[in-house]
Parts: sequence; C-alpha cells; structure tokens
Amino acid sequence: MATGRRYRGGLVDLRTGLISREIFVNEEIYAEELERVFTRAWLFVGHESQIPKPGDYFVSSMGEESAILCRDREERVHVFLNSCRHRGMKVCRYDEGNTPVFTCPYHGWSYAADGKLVGVPFFREAYHGKLDRSQLGLVEVAQLATYKGSVWATWDPNAPGFLEYLGEFRRYLDLTLDGWDGRDGGTEVLGGVQKWLIPCNWKFPAENFSGDSYHNISHRSVDMVGIGPSGSGRRDTRERLVARRLQICFPERGHQTGVYVLPKDQPTPPAYQQSPVVSEYFKHCEEERRRRRGEWGRVTGSPGEVFPNTALHPRQPRTFAVWHPRGPHQTEVWRWYLVDSDSPPEVKDFLRQYYIRYSGPAGLTEQDDMENWNYAHAASRGTIARRYPYTYEQGMGFEVENYEWDGLRLPGSVMDITEAKSSEHNLRNLYRRWAEFMDAESWNELATWRALAR
Amino acid sequence: MSVINLRHLQPGTKIGLADGSTVEVVSNPLDGIWVFARYLSSPRDTSLIGTEEMIFAQDIVEIR
Repeated sequence: MATGRRYRGGLVDLRTGLISREIFVNEEIYAEELERVFTRAWLFVGHESQIPKPGDYFVSSMGEESAILCRDREERVHVFLNSCRHRGMKVCRYDEGNTPVFTCPYHGWSYAADGKLVGVPFFREAYHGKLDRSQLGLVEVAQLATYKGSVWATWDPNAPGFLEYLGEFRRYLDLTLDGWDGRDGGTEVLGGVQKWLIPCNWKFPAENFSGDSYHNISHRSVDMVGIGPSGSGRRDTRERLVARRLQICFPERGHQTGVYVLPKDQPTPPAYQQSPVVSEYFKHCEEERRRRRGEWGRVTGSPGEVFPNTALHPRQPRTFAVWHPRGPHQTEVWRWYLVDSDSPPEVKDFLRQYYIRYSGPAGLTEQDDMENWNYAHAASRGTIARRYPYTYEQGMGFEVENYEWDGLRLPGSVMDITEAKSSEHNLRNLYRRWAEFMDAESWNELATWRALAR
Repeated sequence: MSVINLRHLQPGTKIGLADGSTVEVVSNPLDGIWVFARYLSSPRDTSLIGTEEMIFAQDIVEIR
C-alpha cells in the first residue's frame, strides 16, 4: 500500500478492499478533490420551500465556496457564487432572507436577484461610463436542476444533466422526496437548517451514510434510552423482522442506499405509537402508498448517499444532510428536516421533536456518530497511523445484479444482508467513484454508462 | 454636514445629489448603500427626468 503525498491510483484498492488513510488526511489530496470532485459533481444546495417568493434567498455552500440560492423577480431559481466580481467580498452575509439586491459592502457594487450587475458607484465619473456591466454579473453555476422540491447545481457545463447523473438511483431518492402517501413530491423543510462543525474529513460521514450497517453497536446506548417514536429503540424498525434488508449501489454513478423490502401482501408494520394522531396519519399514508405505488410500495428506505456528499435519511428522521468540506480535517454539517407539506400540525410538531432528539448537534444518535468520526480521524493523522490502510473487505464478491425477490426486481448492484447483517458493499462504491473522479480528466471518462449504451 | 443614514429614507423622500439633481425615493433595499429613486430634476442631463436609477450613498448630499 503506497502512502504518497498526492492522490494516485492504488490508494483506493478495491481488489484487496484496502484504502489508504492518506485520502482522508493528506492536505494535497484534499486540495485535489476540491477541484476534481466538487467542481464537477452535482451538489445539493437547498429546497424550493426555502425560497417561495421573489427576492427570497438562502446562502448555501458548494464545496468550500459560499453560494446564493435565490428566486428572481420572474420567479426563476438561480445559484450564484457569493463573491463580488470587483474584489471578491461576499455580497450576502446573512443565512437567508428577502432582498431586491445583493450589495457588496466593500465598494458598493450591487447585483439584482437574477445576478445582473445593476449598481456600480461612480459609474459615470470614475469609469467614464465604459465598464461593461453586462459581463460582470455574479458567477452563476453551469447547470441547475430542481427535482421534487430539492435544488441541485454543478459548476461543470459538461456534466450530464441531473436526471442522467442520478440514473436509476432516482427511484431511491424519491423515497425521501415523495409524499409519504406515494404522491410525487410534496415535501417541505421543517424549521431551519442545522449547521455545525465537526473535526473530521467529510468522507467519514459520507461513508457512514452510504450504508455502514456495521456500526449499529455505537448506538446501543441510544437504543437503551429508547428515543424512538414508539417508545423503544431509536427508530421503529419492526419491518426488520419480516423484510429483506438490502444494500444497493450504482457503480457507474457512485450513489448508494439501504432499503427494506416487505413480502407481498405484508402490510407495513405500525409505527409512531407514542401519538395516536401521528400513528394514524402514517398508517393512512402507508395504505395509500401501497395503493399508488403497487409492488414498489413494499420498498422503504434507509440511509443513502448521492455522490459525493449529500446524505439521505428517508424515514425516522426524514432528512437531507450535506457534508461540506472545510479543510481536510474539518466538516461542516448542514441538515435539512423534511415533512409532507400538507401533514397535520400535530404530525409536524411530533416529528420536529423526534427529529431534534435523534439528529443534529444535540441529537443523541448523531452524537454517537460524531464521536466515532472525530476520534477515528484524529487517530489516522499520525506518521505511523498513515502506514496502515483501512479495510473494506466485508462481503466482497457477494453482490448480485438483477436482484429479484418475491416478484419485485430492484435496480442496482444489490447485496442482500438479511442474513449477513452487514457488508461494506456500498462503502466500496463510494470510494470507487471518488477514485474515478480523482483519476478522470473530464466527464467523457466519467460518464461510462454512455459507452455501455452504444 | 451630517452623514445621511440611507436606511431611514422612506419612499417619497426627496433628496439632493452632488450634481445638483433632485430625486424622489421609490424604494429602499435597506442595504445602507443604495436607494432606488426617480429623477425630478437634473441640471446635468434633463433626459434623466422621470427615469429611475439606483442612487449611491456618496452621491446624496441632502434631504429636501
């Protein structure tokens, strides 16, 4: 196992299942991944429900860079680099709000919500009216996509469109974004976005949410406390008793998730039993979902990841998280909490309290995870520690293509862990794709599915 | 001469500019740097009368 100073092939060795610690702690590799991963991939920037009116904005982040998600006067959604074209000062230093213009406080250049440069102090006098303002608007992302309320963007004009980027993973992303009763879309962000810093590389949480089913022991104390919405454990997981438990990934895309698949004619087990109102709401939704979605209604989600750094937590709690890189040794976590927008107020309030109990900087489950990531990262930075790669060998070679169970075929490369209990199938997929991004010079090399289709 | 706090300028306020123009505030983005205003007079360029422009704080000399 090589321990080079920069990324090179071999640091991620999926033949042996060994991955060098350098990719987590090496500062030069980190600088390379900002360029090769974060300027080329599609990144989650927010939710349309955060900017419902013209002039609304939410200051987001793409990689290390501040980005403004906003809605202009014609109600079009934009994402701009939050940096003045004159001297680079942030033109917006609030988290969110509503404004007709973004004005740089340094020299006063001012931009409309469509990005156009509309105000230049002393334009006639100092510039003699000759500055070409049409070429100096805010820098806009190369591509933007809104999908069932979620907003995504990329700096790369040559990246495939967002739906092509997702591929068949879209069906699994829908488990977070569709109404719980199976309708298309219909979610909204509940409350504000929680943001906090943790001292570890961003890939630690990204790997964990890709499907680290092995770390359940870490949460044993939370399970003992019983923070779950039915009064025991940390989630309602009765489906585990009857469902197939699968890890599913898309090797050519880098996305992965866990799912449960219930047997035919098996109703979804009851949940949320600490509140009759909430329990009845979800019972009704589950029945509607099975009716609307047919066989696919037997699938329920568990944690997943859209490459590179957007985590899905489809149910209990239902959240999006983004692992923003803030240097090789620090990650800024942003977590959005989602609910059905038309669910009753009692349901939203119950879920808000449960979500906070579970996730975020004060959430009991998330605290367990952070403790592991933080200490693992710190203990991997040393000269000696870097000589010893991590092992990702669990379940190698046991994945199945064209998986079908009880009359339902599931897209993706599938690892059935019902009996095995755990695998690192999805984790390997994350690093496979990460290594491809680090190696490839362009999307011509990354969009491998296009060559397969020819 | 005291410095005018742009955040206090309400729509309808008439203000004088350094070039001798008079403008009326149309709206205020409350950034403390710009206001949107309509020209009522302009000795520099009469074609500006009736047009709306963003007015920079340092061009404003008085409230009329």
